[in-house]
Amino acid sequence: MASNDQASDVATYAATVRAQLADLPAMERDVLLEDLEQHLAEVAAEGEGSLVDRLGPPEDYAVELRAAYRAGRQTTQTTQTTQRTQTNGVYLAESVRAAAHRVIDSDWARQVVAFLPELRPAWWVLRGYLAALILTAAFSRDHPLGPIPNPATKRGLAEILAAGVAIWLSVRIGRRSRKLPQGARVLAISANVLIAFVALAVLGNMHTFAYSELIGTATPEQAPFNAAYAAGPLTNIYPYSQDGKPLTNVLLYDQDGRPITVEQSEAQTIYPTGADGKAITNAYPLTQRHMNGDPAVAPRVAFPPWPTLSPTASPTAIPSPSPSPTR
Amino acid sequence: MSQAEVDTTQLLKGVLDLAVLAVLADADSYGYDVVRRLRETGLDHVGDASVYGTLRRLYQAGALNSYVVPSDEGPHRKYYGLNNRGRKALDQSAQTWASLSKALNHLLNGRSNSHGK
Repeated sequence: MASNDQASDVATYAATVRAQLADLPAMERDVLLEDLEQHLAEVAAEGEGSLVDRLGPPEDYAVELRAAYRAGRQTTQTTQTTQRTQTNGVYLAESVRAAAHRVIDSDWARQVVAFLPELRPAWWVLRGYLAALILTAAFSRDHPLGPIPNPATKRGLAEILAAGVAIWLSVRIGRRSRKLPQGARVLAISANVLIAFVALAVLGNMHTFAYSELIGTATPEQAPFNAAYAAGPLTNIYPYSQDGKPLTNVLLYDQDGRPITVEQSEAQTIYPTGADGKAITNAYPLTQRHMNGDPAVAPRVAFPPWPTLSPTASPTAIPSPSPSPTR
Repeated sequence: MSQAEVDTTQLLKGVLDLAVLAVLADADSYGYDVVRRLRETGLDHVGDASVYGTLRRLYQAGALNSYVVPSDEGPHRKYYGLNNRGRKALDQSAQTWASLSKALNHLLNGRSNSHGK
């Protein structure tokens, strides 16, 4: 037989077999028929005569294939069908069970079940993180609970490390847990459920907070200027004169005459020292250096448009609306 | 199909897994070759579809590994071979078969002996 005829013979035969098995659940059908064409081509290549001559009608082939593939799998369902003819109560129970079976047997249920094991590593990672979160919560009873790692606390780096180690351990445990004996398995599942529940409780207690709450509590003797600043922590103040000239060493005091200081940022602040040897902490702008050594520079600012602005305007001059500007 | 053929087919169904595993334990093989080797052994009535379906089921159950071998003349061939799980399954089924056939032989021998007396 010419190879072209052979190929079309295989294609026709396979198509008929596939059509006969169209009622199988998609996953089962895929596995069963994945390389049917290849197999039939192997058969066709090693012998004389058409496939129908050698293998019988494709319809019969499909019946035999279905029987062989399902031989070890569908025994439970056939027993259920035979038991249907019993008393009404049993019949009801059986039909409920059959309905449940249909759901479990359905395509999407199979796909969900097949997908679940793939989520296992994701759970290992999450589990490690949750364990670190629970530990953090246990060690910070007097702090508001926040997500970890929390950059606003001094423990940020420790929390990153702890979370990393916990995730590593969790994945390691997960990868080894497949060979557990029955008793240990139950224990392991219980431990997983416990972690999930405790973590839920911790997450539930975690309240959302304003940034001002994050940047520390005011000490009574000195009032840091940190009450509430919508844009985030206030770490420096840049005063300008009305005509836009940057001012230096401007001393700021609050309504009670206390020096106004700002929150420490990641930048290092160099305070000027007074004649009495004490640091002057409220002379703005503060001289600051970033962690990499670069000096902090003034931000670009947009000055408000004053009604009138002359180069000679003094800060005390009150601008008066004049009908004819002198320019 | 004669009555004898139907009987053989029915009997074979239960042990086809074992037969296929045994063939593959001997050497890795592709679908049609498995059929041929089973028939050479004397299992004349084994159907191609039964063997192919069994191979696919055993493969999905994780008892077999599979790989494609290109062929110069003719189509590529999909070879199947036993993995550890398959070898374990073969050992277990072989034991079951041994005790079952021993019991049946015992029964049949008893019958033929009493028949012969």
